[in-house]
Amino acid sequence: MSTTFGKLVKTELKLMMRDPLVLTFVFAFPVVTMLILGGAFGSKPTPGFQNTNPAHWYVASYLTVVIAATGLVMLPVHLASYRDRGVLRRFTAAGFPRWSFAIAQLITGLVTTAVSCGLLLLVAWPVYGIPAVHDAWRVAVALLLGAVAFVSIGVLLGSVLPSARSAQAVGLLLFFPSFLLGAGGPPPDVMGSIVKKVADPLPLTLLTNAVREPWLGLGTATGSLIAIAALAVVATVIAARRTAL
Amino acid sequence: MSEQDVVTVRGLFKAYGKRIVVDGLDLDVRAGEIVGLAGANGAGKTTTVECIQGLRKPDAGVLRVLGYNPVTQGAKLRPLIGSQLQDSALPDRLRVAEAIDLFTTPTARDGGELLEQFGLSRRRRSAFSSLSGGERQRLFLVLALLNRPRLVILDELTQGLDPAARRNVWAAVRQLHEGGTTVLLVTHEMDEAEELCGRIIAMRDGRILDSGTPAELIDRHARRATVRFSLPEAGASLLEQLRRIEGVQDVELTGTRVTLGGDRRMIAYVGAALVSWGPVPPDLGVHVPDLEDALLRLLENDQAAATPVIHAQAELIGGRQ
Repeated sequence: MSTTFGKLVKTELKLMMRDPLVLTFVFAFPVVTMLILGGAFGSKPTPGFQNTNPAHWYVASYLTVVIAATGLVMLPVHLASYRDRGVLRRFTAAGFPRWSFAIAQLITGLVTTAVSCGLLLLVAWPVYGIPAVHDAWRVAVALLLGAVAFVSIGVLLGSVLPSARSAQAVGLLLFFPSFLLGAGGPPPDVMGSIVKKVADPLPLTLLTNAVREPWLGLGTATGSLIAIAALAVVATVIAARRTAL
Repeated sequence: MSEQDVVTVRGLFKAYGKRIVVDGLDLDVRAGEIVGLAGANGAGKTTTVECIQGLRKPDAGVLRVLGYNPVTQGAKLRPLIGSQLQDSALPDRLRVAEAIDLFTTPTARDGGELLEQFGLSRRRRSAFSSLSGGERQRLFLVLALLNRPRLVILDELTQGLDPAARRNVWAAVRQLHEGGTTVLLVTHEMDEAEELCGRIIAMRDGRILDSGTPAELIDRHARRATVRFSLPEAGASLLEQLRRIEGVQDVELTGTRVTLGGDRRMIAYVGAALVSWGPVPPDLGVHVPDLEDALLRLLENDQAAATPVIHAQAELIGGRQ
């Protein structure tokens, strides 16, 4: 890592941690909603949650909420605001290579996701306990691919949307339906058939399946994992082209 | 292109959609010069310097800056240029000291010294968003000068600065010049251009109208000076005497107020005449044309030449009225 690039990543990480949108949306929002929903359905295994502890169901699901919040809301707003205000021009004129900014955002997004996931587990642990991980490798691979996919989508959205306001509008519009249908809302068993048809192919639903099923021992979710891997490749390639890497 | 040429531009053409912004521009900047790009809004000045820095890709033309092609070698070129861009910003929560650290390269000057020089040392821990307009402008200058650039591009250098800060910035630019740094200055402030630039390039609609030293431009486009004073007994014979003074081209009398127009040298002869005639009028006023007059005249003349039909129509409408 060149000195200039290292300094850019370090600075971007500092700035992320000072951003109120990041603090509320990526750190606080998933933790608070996980605590509410985890407690709403009790801790007895029920058929609606595929005979698992509902609190554990949500703990295993909410790491993907963090990933989606980072990719769909935090990064697009951050990047679009930089472009809109001439920050990117300022950096480019100062000699920062064009690729360095996109890569720095990718790294910042991944680090922010990792920190926020750690925080979520730290809060969940004394309240609901952390469910045993049945297939740690599959869970880790799914989380990593999911993070790359959503962070790339975030970089892409940030590079095409014209302003921070439009990025916020589009990001929230993408995030909330995905969040309610694919990860943090009601369990699939209580959804109507039409809603379920809409929810099933959503990237966040696929990612949540790929994480939750091997974690709770409900299955391997290989199909979902392959779909997320494909999404990660496609999103990264398009984001790289768009940001002239 | 000689070794002395820092910037060489030939036939630069840039359009945004159907709007032509730079239209076949040729430009040379030699090592150690301070060159000003002046002109009305939309003249193509900022686009020209953005192409020179490799921040915009020209539609046509050949550019060579510090031996590099900005289009294909922008990454190598940009670290050699210190630039203060129009309409740019830093991240809101980035602190002044962090900005210095982020932009510093191994060959950089002492950032602390520069902050001191531009009156920002007490704002080291302040976030960019909390700086005033003038402080932001000064910070951009510090960043532009930080890495000992060979070419400095300053776009709207003193916009938003108070008079004292402006003088301070001008002194810094002069210091750069003395050190041999080449400066390309984009400005609307003609007093600034006159104060700093060895050569000024006047632009309009993406073309160069004229270029030269401030004195040459004034001489070519705004030679006419004006002297005004009141004479309680200004009769026909006195007006005749005034008309005969060397350099006086026209004399106008409104009540007791006399206005003389003519070549700048006239000022000395009129002054001498007034002294020899008796007490010098207490309301004596002199307007010596400056660069702003020259540029305005140049732009007006070009506009008139470009739109003869509109002018003819305007005169026709005026005549009917």
